[in-house]
Amino acid sequence: MHRLEFRNMCKAYGGAKALDGVDLSLSGGRVHALMGENGAGKSTLIKLLAGVVPADVLFVSVDDIEIALTSAQAAQRAGFRFIHQELNIVPQVSVAENMLLGRTFPRRFGLAVDWKQVNARAQDALAFLGADHIDVRALAGDLTTGDRMLMKIAAAFVTDPITDERAVLYVLDEPTAALTSAESELLFDVIARLAATGAAVLYVSHRIDEVLRICDVVTVLRDGRLVSSGPTSATDKAQIIRDMTGRNVADAFPVAAASPAPDVIVSMDRVSAGRLSDITFDLHAGEVIGIAGLANAGQGTFLETFIGLHKVTSGHAQLRGVALPRSPEQAWRRGIAYLPRERRSEGLMLNMSIRANIALPHLTGVQANASRERHMAETLSSQMRLKCEHLDQPVTQLSGGNQQKVLFARALYGLPDLLLLDEPTRGVDVGAKYDIYCTVREASAKGCAILMTSSDLPELLGMCDRIIVLHDGRQAHMLDCDGLTSSDLLSHFYGAKAA
Amino acid sequence: MTQTLRQSGTLLGFATILIFLTIQLPETFLTARNLINISQQLSMLAVVAATMTIVMVMNDFDLSVGSMASLAGIVAAVLFAAGFPVWVGLLAALSVGLLGGLFNGFLVSILGILPFVATLGTLTVFSGTAFLMSDGKTIFGRDIPEGFSGFARAGIEIGDMKIPFLTLTALAVILVCWFILEQTNFGRRLYAIGGNREAAHLAGIRVKRLRLMAFALTGLGAAGAGLMYAARVASANPTQGSGLMLDAIAAVFLGMTMSRQGEPRVLYTLVGVLMLGVLDNGLTQLRVDSYVREILVGLIVISAVAIAAFSKRNTAC
Repeated sequence: MHRLEFRNMCKAYGGAKALDGVDLSLSGGRVHALMGENGAGKSTLIKLLAGVVPADVLFVSVDDIEIALTSAQAAQRAGFRFIHQELNIVPQVSVAENMLLGRTFPRRFGLAVDWKQVNARAQDALAFLGADHIDVRALAGDLTTGDRMLMKIAAAFVTDPITDERAVLYVLDEPTAALTSAESELLFDVIARLAATGAAVLYVSHRIDEVLRICDVVTVLRDGRLVSSGPTSATDKAQIIRDMTGRNVADAFPVAAASPAPDVIVSMDRVSAGRLSDITFDLHAGEVIGIAGLANAGQGTFLETFIGLHKVTSGHAQLRGVALPRSPEQAWRRGIAYLPRERRSEGLMLNMSIRANIALPHLTGVQANASRERHMAETLSSQMRLKCEHLDQPVTQLSGGNQQKVLFARALYGLPDLLLLDEPTRGVDVGAKYDIYCTVREASAKGCAILMTSSDLPELLGMCDRIIVLHDGRQAHMLDCDGLTSSDLLSHFYGAKAA
Repeated sequence: MTQTLRQSGTLLGFATILIFLTIQLPETFLTARNLINISQQLSMLAVVAATMTIVMVMNDFDLSVGSMASLAGIVAAVLFAAGFPVWVGLLAALSVGLLGGLFNGFLVSILGILPFVATLGTLTVFSGTAFLMSDGKTIFGRDIPEGFSGFARAGIEIGDMKIPFLTLTALAVILVCWFILEQTNFGRRLYAIGGNREAAHLAGIRVKRLRLMAFALTGLGAAGAGLMYAARVASANPTQGSGLMLDAIAAVFLGMTMSRQGEPRVLYTLVGVLMLGVLDNGLTQLRVDSYVREILVGLIVISAVAIAAFSKRNTAC
């Protein structure tokens, strides 16, 4: 049986420590679960193992022989195999080609690709997985999402006579995210067989029930540190949730100064729009409602509906007694401000000045008014405690936190009626985070109604009055934040019955 | 440091060309008469390049300007030949430019076709229409009224010099484009679209409508330049505008190497136009083969853009 030791894994991005001295030991023949919230350091850990991100500190030994993971090739040579959660496929070519992508294609006469061999090897790998219903000659783009995932998984098992070394470690990153339960069963069966070959399996998942069922050992990370590690038999669901979320957040958030006012800003009654359904709530002036759920449960769509990107297909949706805006342009004019999730691709004109970025939605009249814009930018940026050299500086030169403040300055000009925040503190350092929380509080104290999404549960609990939990686009719960804990909230993501 | 070098590189190149030509052509190059001549020669290009800048600000471009210029000249000439007064011909030609530009905008902005493909398509459509209307022939002589072609020969006399109306028209167009792009909120929004179209849309900018309008303005400019061309040579033929497109795009690219973030600016475009015009004039006087001139222009544009891209990469890291 193989024995893999990873000691003192450290990785910092800028000043932020993504991994801080994590130890992990894996043994062959066992399935090891790695769990943690978003941002806990799981993806960083996987990237270090895969050799795609250089570690600050990392000692690796396989069967007591020390090795260095300096590149993806080194990881491959060490016998590490990865199945990533992203579905990166090339839709225009065949399943077999997708599966052998990045490997040496078998050839005839050293020149022509031996397509028979290519197809046969892909076929073998799919058969090993028990997914031989997939035609290796079909175009990858024609497969269903589940079959695509199976194809990606099977690609890790394609044998390669030239570099075929026995794999010592399989890392599976959220492999069941896109699978149906029947397909998941196939995979669990394969995982058992992989472990039986003597390789170690590192299984990364959010799904606690799955982990409890198929894993022998579970390790939980939080904020880049190891929280707990032990046999699955010695823990339970509630304990794992506590380990994943249990940080003391009591004083990390500024307290609300006033309670929400009586006037209703947004009124939704059994609304369907885009992939959303059953959305029912009233949002009052000065109130903050959080939108939560598992990754991709429709949080983004929820906010986008208010700037007219998704049509309301049924139910009554009103903003101040009138139907929702039908375009972003109408939304900004009616006092809705939107802070997009991807600040670089959806929010900022990176090469343009801070001033131009802030003023953009608020330009009025025909002739440009530079002094008005400058005044607007000066007031808002000092209010936001924006750190910059001057307001004509291109935003690309600012740090992530300060870029986010530019977007906040843009959103808060003229105090909107409704503020939509999609992951407002994503990729933002701790200091700027606190400034942003204060800004949100200030806006809500002035009567601004706020809808926000976040994958950071303590942030939602600290900032919101109520939380809507989505299950695949459907409003499943409306929770009052008073006395709610992260564990309670998380258990609501997984379905109604979990406690 | 690299930033300044990048921005001033093209200007240095321009200065080198000026000095070289002044030394090579001591009698003729740096004379008021020649400079006025140059300004008239490049007035059409200036108009097309200035209006081309409007779409290039949004990271779009318009390949159909050359054939639109030809078409506008033909439309006016055909109406003149049919006995319509000058103003009808002018109005019709400019309307065709506006409509053609709107059509480009419709294809690019509403249907979402890539500008390269859409305007390549309309390039041939406009050109084919021009051939069809003119029967493939050049319209000239008595068909072109004196009131139309006279404009190109007239000007404002200052002392013993005459500033041609064509030059003044080009200056006016540049001034208008500068005002639109630099001094109006419309221009601000176009730059924002160029900076990040998705972000501009989410920030409440009516991206579709603005792109449509920008293409319409470029079409209008192309038609105007076509009329200026037709007036200057007192004739119209279905291919006479075809050289304008590449030179206009080249001028905007040259100008982009001079701006701070590599964005197009009308006044820098003007420098690009001057550079191409001066080079053209000088090489003609030096009796350099026009094919050599084309090779030179191509190399200058490539090296200017390459230097800009290279130093930008260095500053970014």
